[in-house]
Amino acid sequence: MFGVTESRELTFDQRIDALRATKLSITQEKQRIIGAMNHDDWGLILPPADRRELVQTMSASGMPITDALIAGFQVKSNHPSGGFFGPKAVGMNYRALLEQHPVYIDPVSSLAGGYMANFMSYRKPHWNPDLDFSFLHENQHQYGLGSGIGAAQHFCHDLTIGFQLGWGGLLEKIHHYRDVQKATEKNPEMLVQKLDFYEGLEHIVLGMQNWIRRTAEQARAMCRVESNPQLRENLEAIADINARLVTEPPKTFREACQWMNWYQMAARMYNGNGALGRLDVLLYPYYERDTALGILDDEEAIFHLACFLVRNTDYIQLGGPDEAGHDTTSRLSFLTLEAAHRLKIPANIGVCVGDEVDPQLLRRGVEIMFEDKCATPKFLGIDRTTEGFMRNGYPAEIARTRAYSGCHWSAIPGREYTLNDCVKINFGKVFDAALNEMMTGAGITPSIDTLYTLYGKHLRRAVDTIARGLDYHLEHYHQVFPELFLDLLCYGPVEKGLDASHGGVEFYNLCVDGSALATVADSFAALEQRIEQQHRMSWQDIYRHLQQNWDGADGEKARLMMKSIPRYGSGGSKADEWAVRLSDLFTRLVKEKPTLNGYNMIPGLFSWANTIPMGKDLGATPNGRHAGEPISHGANPDPGYRKDGAPTAMAVAIATVQPGYGNTAPMQMELDPGITKDEGGVDHIVELIKTHFDLGGTQINLNIMDAEQVLEAHKDPSKYPDLVVRVTGFSAYFASLSPEFRQLVVDRILTEK
Amino acid sequence: MEGVVFNIQRFSIHDGPGIRTTVFLKGCSLRCFWCHNPEGIRPKPVIQFYPERCIDCNECVRACQHGATYLLNGERIFDREQCIACGECVETCYAGARVLAGKTMTVDEVMAEVLQDRAFYEASGGGITLSGGEPVLQPAFSYALLERCKSEGLHTAIETCGNVRWEDEERMLPVTDLIMMDIKHMDPAKHRWATGATNERILAAARRFAATDKPIIFRIPVIPTVNDTVEEVAAIASYVHELIGVRNCAGGDGEHTISLELLPFHKLAGDKYRSLDMEYRARELQPPSKEHMRLLTETALSCAVEARSR
Repeated sequence: MFGVTESRELTFDQRIDALRATKLSITQEKQRIIGAMNHDDWGLILPPADRRELVQTMSASGMPITDALIAGFQVKSNHPSGGFFGPKAVGMNYRALLEQHPVYIDPVSSLAGGYMANFMSYRKPHWNPDLDFSFLHENQHQYGLGSGIGAAQHFCHDLTIGFQLGWGGLLEKIHHYRDVQKATEKNPEMLVQKLDFYEGLEHIVLGMQNWIRRTAEQARAMCRVESNPQLRENLEAIADINARLVTEPPKTFREACQWMNWYQMAARMYNGNGALGRLDVLLYPYYERDTALGILDDEEAIFHLACFLVRNTDYIQLGGPDEAGHDTTSRLSFLTLEAAHRLKIPANIGVCVGDEVDPQLLRRGVEIMFEDKCATPKFLGIDRTTEGFMRNGYPAEIARTRAYSGCHWSAIPGREYTLNDCVKINFGKVFDAALNEMMTGAGITPSIDTLYTLYGKHLRRAVDTIARGLDYHLEHYHQVFPELFLDLLCYGPVEKGLDASHGGVEFYNLCVDGSALATVADSFAALEQRIEQQHRMSWQDIYRHLQQNWDGADGEKARLMMKSIPRYGSGGSKADEWAVRLSDLFTRLVKEKPTLNGYNMIPGLFSWANTIPMGKDLGATPNGRHAGEPISHGANPDPGYRKDGAPTAMAVAIATVQPGYGNTAPMQMELDPGITKDEGGVDHIVELIKTHFDLGGTQINLNIMDAEQVLEAHKDPSKYPDLVVRVTGFSAYFASLSPEFRQLVVDRILTEK
Repeated sequence: MEGVVFNIQRFSIHDGPGIRTTVFLKGCSLRCFWCHNPEGIRPKPVIQFYPERCIDCNECVRACQHGATYLLNGERIFDREQCIACGECVETCYAGARVLAGKTMTVDEVMAEVLQDRAFYEASGGGITLSGGEPVLQPAFSYALLERCKSEGLHTAIETCGNVRWEDEERMLPVTDLIMMDIKHMDPAKHRWATGATNERILAAARRFAATDKPIIFRIPVIPTVNDTVEEVAAIASYVHELIGVRNCAGGDGEHTISLELLPFHKLAGDKYRSLDMEYRARELQPPSKEHMRLLTETALSCAVEARSR
C-alpha cells in the first residue's frame, strides 16, 4: 500500500513524511466535518465514517465547539438531570467508552493508538444541578469572571509513577490502598466515598487494559495479512509490546513512548488533559539504557518521539534545573526538538532559557523556528518562574521541579493542584463597573483618582468572588467529575482515597489570571490625557460616546482622539505607567490573603484565546475600542502600540508588568524579521529572548513568519494547509481556525499598517 | 542641545551590528531621486498628509493659525507654502491623516528613548546608529548625542553620505565606533545626475575615513538605471579595494575593518512621496532580483573586498 518493494525499506525520515501526510489528510477531514477548530489541534482522529455523530458541546477550556462522537455509545446516567456524577459513575462510563473505542493502528508508526472522542462531550449536563452556586452568579457576571468552578485538569501528573508500575501495578496499587482504607477509615460516610473513588479508578485501569489488549490483538491480525516485510515486522513489534503493556511497565525507550502515548491520549480523551511535563527527563533513563545496550540509536529515538508527537500535542518542557539546580538538558532534549523539526506540525514544546541552561538549546530552538516557521518551540524563562514561585513560600528544591505543562503554565508533577488557565478576571468588566458607578452614583465628582479608587474596590470584589468560587470548586468538584485519570499518576490520591481536587495531593496553588491589561491601561491613560490634562472632552461626553458605542461622526472623532494617545508598549508613556500600576494592584489584591478555606492563589496575566468572547461581553472602552471587539491579548500591548512595532519595546513593557509569583504573563510576538537565519537572524532573536527574560519576562510565544504568506493564507486558507501558527499558548493549523481567529493573528501582524 | 529628528526606530537590525536603535536626523545634502526617506530630505519639519485616513472633521482647519489650512467654498485647502509645520493641526488630527515629520528634540529626550533598549544592546553587541537625512548636517547635535552615548557605554555608528564638510565628519570620529557610508557611483557626472551632487567630496571623505582606524561599511544602494550593472558595482568595489590598501599603508588591518554591503532598491517609499506632494521619480523602477543581487555581490567579492547583500 505504500509502494514499497522488499528490497527498499522506508527510512525513518520517509516514515515521518508519511506520518505528516496522514496527519494532514486527517486534519483536512476534520476541517470538512467539524468546521473551524479554534483550539489546540489535540491530535484527535475522527471516528470511522460509519461510527461518528456530530454534537455541539463545550471544550475542556470552556469554549463552545462542534465535536464528533462515537456513534452508538451511550453513557449511563445516575442522576435525574440525565448527567452522571461522582467517581464510580464517571469511572464506569469512561471504561465503557474505552471498551468501545475503535482501535487505530498506523502501520508506518512505531506506536499504536489514536484517540477519537472527547469523553467530556458526553457529559450533559456538565455540572450537577443539585450543587448550587448561584450566590456567586451576580458578581461573576458583572466582572466577566472565568470562575474555575467545574474546570477539569490543568495541573500536571508524574509519568514516572506509570513508568514504574504499568497498568497492572497501578491496579495492584488501587487494590492495596483500598484495603488499607477499608481497615483504617473510621468515618463510615467517608469510607463509602473512598470506596466509590477506588471503584472509579479501577474502572479506568480496566478500560485502558481492554483498549490496549484489543489493539495488540488487532496488530497481530494485521500482521498476518501485511505483505510488506518492514511493516509486518513493525506490526509484530507493536503486537508484542502492547500485549506486554496491558499489565507490565515499559522496559525500553520504544515501550516507554508507547506507554506514554496511551496515557497521554486517554488522559486527553478523559478531560482534555494536555499536560506532560519534562519529557527529556522522564524518558532519559530509557534512552540511556537502550543506547548503552546498543539497541537504540538517535535516528530511531527521533522516530519514536515523532510517532508520539504526531498523536499528542501535549505541553512539554525541555531542559531546566533539577531539584539541586543542575541543568537537565541532554542529548534527548535536542532529539525531541529534532523530532518536532522533522514533523512540522502543531506542537507545544517549551525550551528553558536560564543562566544555567545549555544555551545551545535556545539557539537550536530559534534555528528551527527560522527553518520551519511552524511556531515551535516556545520559550520559558525558567529562572524568573522559579524565583517567583519561591515567593509563595517554597524552597528552591521544590520550586525547580515545577514543570511547564500547559498553555502558559507550570505545575509540580504529581504533587500540585492548580486550575491553571481556568480562572480569569476581565479587567475590562471591572473597569466598566467602576466607570458606571462613578458616572451614575449620587454625589460623585468624576476624576481619574476617583475612577481608580472605584476600580480597586471592584477588583477586590472580583478577586473575593474568585476566591469563594475556588473554595466551592474544591469542596464539590470531586462529586461531579473527579480527576480519576490524573489521580492515577499523582502522589496521594490513590494512597489517601481522595481526588486531587479534594485534598489528594500535597500542594494547592490556584491560578488567578487577569485579562485586558492593555485595554484598561490605555483607557485610563486616554481619560487622564484627554480629559484631565488637555480638557478636550468632558466626562459626560466620553460616557455618552461609550454608551452610544462611538456612534456618529462626533463619536468617531472622539474615538480616534482617545485612541491616538501614546499607548502601553510605546515606552515611557502614561499608559505604560498605568499598566504597571494595574498589574501591581491586581497582584497585591490576589496575594493579600488566601481563600477563606486557606488556599494560596497565584496571579498571572493571560487571556488565552478568550480575547474574543471576553471582548464580546464588554461594551465600548475609552481606549477607542468598540463594544464587542476583542480585548487585548494577555499582557501584550494592543497591536499598533508603536509605529515601528519594535519587539524590544514590547519586550521591555511586558517585562515590567509581571506579577512575579511564578505564574506567567507571556509575551506573544509575531516577527517577520526580514532577515534570514544566516544573516544573523538567529542571533538577534536569541538575544531578544534572553534579554526579555533577564528583564523579568516569564514566557514567550513566538511566531517567526513570512507576513505576506500569512496574509495570503488568510484570503484562502486552503492554499496553505500546512501553515502552523501559535495562536496563543497553543499552536494550530492556520486553516483550522475560524475567520475571526485568523483575523486575530493577522491583526497582530499588521501592527504597522 | 537640540536637533531635528524625524524618526527613532528601535529593534533596528539592518544598520550595524546587534540590536540597535536608529535615530533619523532631518536634512540631507543629496537629492537621490529614489530616496527611501523623502520626509528626511529638508532640514525643517514637514507635514505629511495621508488623505485615505482623513475623516473630514476639519479640526486641522480650526487648529491652523498660519493660513495654511483653510476652507474655500467648502473645500479644504492645504497650502504648503504657508505651512510652517508648527504641528498644531497634527496634534488635533486624531485620525492620523496628518503626520509631522521632524520634531525638535533635546539630547536628553532622545536618550530617554534610546536607553530603554540598553539591555538589548548589551546582550547583542548593538547600540545606536545616527542616520537620516544626513546626520552630520547637524554636527553639534550629532556630536553631543554620540558623546552622550559613549559616556553611557553604548556602541555608536553613523550612516553618512560623505557629502558634508570634512571637519564635521572628523569631529564625529572620536565618538563613533563604526562608520557606514554610501558610495553610489564612481562617475562624477552620473553621480550628479542621480543625486544632484558630484562625488569628489564623497570619495575624498571615503579616503580620509580609510586613513583612520575606524571600522567602515561602505554601502551601495543598488538602483536600476543608476548603478546596477556589474561594471558600475565593480568600479565601486575596486575603489573600496584601493581604500583597504590605504588603511593597510596607514598601519591598519584594511581587510578586516572595511567591508561592502549592497542594498537592493525597494519601492516602500511611494506612499511617503504622495504624503509630501512630492514627485516619486523612481516609481517605474523595479527592485533588482535576488539572483542579480547575488551576481553583484560576487562581482564585489571578486575585487577582493568582503561583501554581502540583503
